[in-house]
Amino acid sequence: MDLDKALSISAQGMEVQTTRLRVIAENLANQDTTGTTPGANPYRRKTVEFEDQLDRATGETTVKVKKIGQDMSAFPQRFDPSHPAADQNGYVRTPNVNSFVEVMDMREAQRSYSANLQVMQVTRGLLTRSIEMLK
Amino acid sequence: MASQATGSTGVALFDLADRRLAWLGAREGVLSQNVANANTPGWKSRDLTSFASYLSSSAVSGSTLALTNPLHMKGTLPDTAGVQVQPGEQAPDGNAVSLDDQLMKIAQTDTDHELVTTVYTKYLGMFRMALGR
Repeated sequence: MDLDKALSISAQGMEVQTTRLRVIAENLANQDTTGTTPGANPYRRKTVEFEDQLDRATGETTVKVKKIGQDMSAFPQRFDPSHPAADQNGYVRTPNVNSFVEVMDMREAQRSYSANLQVMQVTRGLLTRSIEMLK
Repeated sequence: MASQATGSTGVALFDLADRRLAWLGAREGVLSQNVANANTPGWKSRDLTSFASYLSSSAVSGSTLALTNPLHMKGTLPDTAGVQVQPGEQAPDGNAVSLDDQLMKIAQTDTDHELVTTVYTKYLGMFRMALGR
């Protein structure tokens, strides 16, 4: 295991956090997206799962996105008979996105991204100093 | 060790610096895995065994499997004997990485690396001085 591999592991870590941020952005953007036909389902919240991945050739363990899943919790309902997506009782199903949960998740993604960036900067410092030994 | 064969105390220091740098590089790799997997469910943080134990194990047998017969085949899997799972507080998803702890270890690795490279460069400078260059 050398420093180049450490750099690629950190890069992989940043990539999965970026994917996570992308999914959070999708959820927040669609937090008011309802259906268009009566009784239709609204936007369903997406989730990200991470998994460690062993590269057998090099023995290093990187991280990857295992699956972008769906949050199967129930949709909240709102009474609004004039809405195009209202069912026969006048209720509209709204997305199961909780903006507080998303913002908290975003903070965590940001923190993990910064940590990976920090590791990358330190690794780069080690490499630079090793090269300077040649001078 | 190669340095003992040359019989020079000076080269022993270079050899030690070489091993120390290799160990620090490997540690950086292990710690970067921990940070990359800081949100992976079930991941436990890892760290290398101490430099002292790395030094004593590699001085005796190297880091490869001991062979009782030269015809025996060596293992092909990468050597991970020096990597240890560290105990730590677990999150509900089974993840036991403390980012603060990992970043502290990385800062420590950085400082140690700086020390080794500085000592190495200084020592090389003494050689240069002796050679009158």
